[in-house]
Order: sequence, then C-alpha cells, then structure tokens
Amino acid sequence: MHGSLNDQSLIYLQIAQMLEDDILRGVYREEEQVPSTNELARVYHINPATAAKGINLLVTDGILYKRRGIGMFVAPGAEEAVKAKRRAAFYQDFIKPLVREGKSLGVTGEELLAMTRRAMEEGD
Amino acid sequence: MEHGMLQARGLCKSYGDNQVLHDLDLDILPGKIYGLIGRNGAGKTTLLSILTAQNTKNAGEVTYNGEDVWENRKALDDICFSRELETTLFSSRNNLKVRHYLRSAAIFYPRWDEEYARRLAEEFRLEPKKRISQLSKGQLSMVTILIALASGAPITILDEPAAGLDVVARERFYQLLLEDYAKTGRTFIVSTHIIEEAASVFENVIILDEGRILENRPTEELLEQFRYVSGREDVVEEACRGLEVLSVSRMGRHANASVRGGAAQLAALDGYDVDVSPMNLQNVFVALCGHGDSQ
Repeated sequence: MHGSLNDQSLIYLQIAQMLEDDILRGVYREEEQVPSTNELARVYHINPATAAKGINLLVTDGILYKRRGIGMFVAPGAEEAVKAKRRAAFYQDFIKPLVREGKSLGVTGEELLAMTRRAMEEGD
Repeated sequence: MEHGMLQARGLCKSYGDNQVLHDLDLDILPGKIYGLIGRNGAGKTTLLSILTAQNTKNAGEVTYNGEDVWENRKALDDICFSRELETTLFSSRNNLKVRHYLRSAAIFYPRWDEEYARRLAEEFRLEPKKRISQLSKGQLSMVTILIALASGAPITILDEPAAGLDVVARERFYQLLLEDYAKTGRTFIVSTHIIEEAASVFENVIILDEGRILENRPTEELLEQFRYVSGREDVVEEACRGLEVLSVSRMGRHANASVRGGAAQLAALDGYDVDVSPMNLQNVFVALCGHGDSQ
C-alpha cells in the first residue's frame, strides 16, 4: 500500500482503488493475501467497517475473494479484471471531461482527434 | 461481546428557562464507533450525561436492552462515561490524585483491565502520585482516555477526549481506540470539535444542533449526499434545481453552492457545465449547523 488518504473522494473507494493500484503494480499477486480490514484500519486510522466496505467492493467485482477463516486473497485473473473495470470507467472519468474541457475552449472535434494522435505519437 | 442497544426517547432537558434538549430520540446500536459532533452549547455533554444516568431529565426515557438506566446497577455496569476532568472540585483545587481516580474506576467498572490501565499510564507518563490540579490539559485528557479504554465497558463514551491533546497524541489516541475496537468490538461514542481528522474513525456520525439530532447515520452515507457545485451563476442555479441548496457564495457572476440530494439527482449534475466536488465531514457540518454565521 502507499500514500495517504485525501478527502476528495469517499474513503472506502480510495481503499478499493489503492488495492487495485497495488494489484496492477504487482505488489499483490494472484492468490496472495491482501491486508485485513483491521490492518487497513490501523495503518490508515479508519474505521474497520469502512475498510471492509472497500474490500467488499473488490469482492463483488471478482478482484478479491475470501478464504474462510484465513483472509482475503487476490483472485485469479484479478489484474485483467482491474483493467477491464478501469477501461469501463475510462470513458466516463477521462474522455467525457476531456471533451467538455475541449468544448469550453472551442477546440473542434477534428483538432481534438489530432491532438490525441499527436500525444500518442509523442508518448512512451 | 454481548451487549445491546442504548435508546433515548423523547428526551427533554432544561436548565432554568434554557431548554437544552428538545424531544430528542436516539438509537445507539451495538458494536459501532459513533462520533458526536455539535457546536458549543449544542447540548452534547448534557445528552451524554443523561444517556449514562449521571444527570436528570425533564421528560423522556433512556433504556439499555429495554431497561431504564436510571439507578439500574446492571445497566450502568455496562456503560462508561469518561468525563473531562476538572482541576477544581466544588470550587476549590482538585487535590485528588491520579491513583484515586484509577482506583475508583477499578471499583466501579466490573470489566476493568488493571494490566491495560498500567500499560497506558506508563505510555502516557501519568504519575499515580500526581494531584489532578497539577496536571496539564493534555494529561487530564489522558486520564479520561485511560479510564475509558481500561473500563472495558460495552458502551464507552468519551467527551472531548482530544481537546487537550497535541496532534501526535491525538493520532495515538485514535490508533488506541481502533486497536481496542478491533479486539473487543464494543460501542464507542466520542464527542469532538476536531472533526476532520476523526471523520474516518467514525462509522456513524451524530450531528446535534441546538438540542436536536439533525443526523444519525453512517458517515459515508451522509457524505455521499453532499456536493459543492460551482460555475456561472445562472448555470449553477439551473443545475441545482430540485436539489436542497444549503448555502451559496457568490463572487461576481461565479457561484459556489453546497447542495444535498439523492444519488440520481447528484449524478444529473454531470449534464451541466459546472464543477462538482465532494464535501468532507467538516464542510457538511458547517453547511448544516452554520445557520448563516460568517464562515
């Protein structure tokens, strides 16, 4: 885990997102155990119920699963599941604000596409 | 740990002509950490002292597991109200020593953990021989916290435990609270003025305003209902139609509104050319209890 919490979004969502980030970075690999709700509560000074809500979100999404009596583990295929989830949110979270900002600056659709292409060529 | 619900129904309390609590209902569910927040004079300490049968009421009832708490030994064995200590007692110096307080707590609370108390006293560097009147504000808070934690009471109430503590000690306090809670799962009610750093510790938040409960719900559920909406005044106004607008500040043609609404209503804000940002607990508290005072 990394960083600290901010008050820009709900804490359980931040917990879920931090765990997802760590799965993408290989901090937690498939079939490895992730921190318990009590560990998360202690490290981030949050209520265990809030930590549990974040973890349960990832269980619902098939990213974590529970081994009864042991703890929470990274599900097989979790990395792909995180990517698929983020891809689904990509349009809403990045493309729409991008288009909105472009519109308010008077950037045309053609210009926007051209800029995107240029950024892709310059990238990496 | 087996314990039940603490419930208040129709509580009224006046001091002379000043009515402090107005027909107040409150349910405290087992196994949660509650934050009680309210402005100065909102009635927090009065409410807590009545919940724990340390103060009289003019009307209403307080029950624990369905039984009246007043002079009920069995109920009061389960309830700890660790009040702020005063350096004066009956208008003279409080000459009692730290160990007197600890010893009476050990007698009063049947689940008292002497070993835990000793460990905390050592960590807080509280000398048992010191007189209460000689303690600093921070040390007074530490005695309060020590008694609350070591009481082991299924319902433990702390009144302004963070008030006299520096930021390092406050962090440590919340850490100790969460460790204890993880181990015992008992109910805590913590009143505080220092809202933002405590917000993430509270599973539920109770907002008391002028002797009435404005909110008693899961912290995140409350926060999810609020947003700041800012942009050009007329667009903000249009976007906020149908939402509860708590306050608006204007700067030229720019407006920033704090609003409340359901998930679907708030999602509809995406369709307007406005900036939408979340509010933290402190912002929500000010929006609900500010009553137009300058912010």
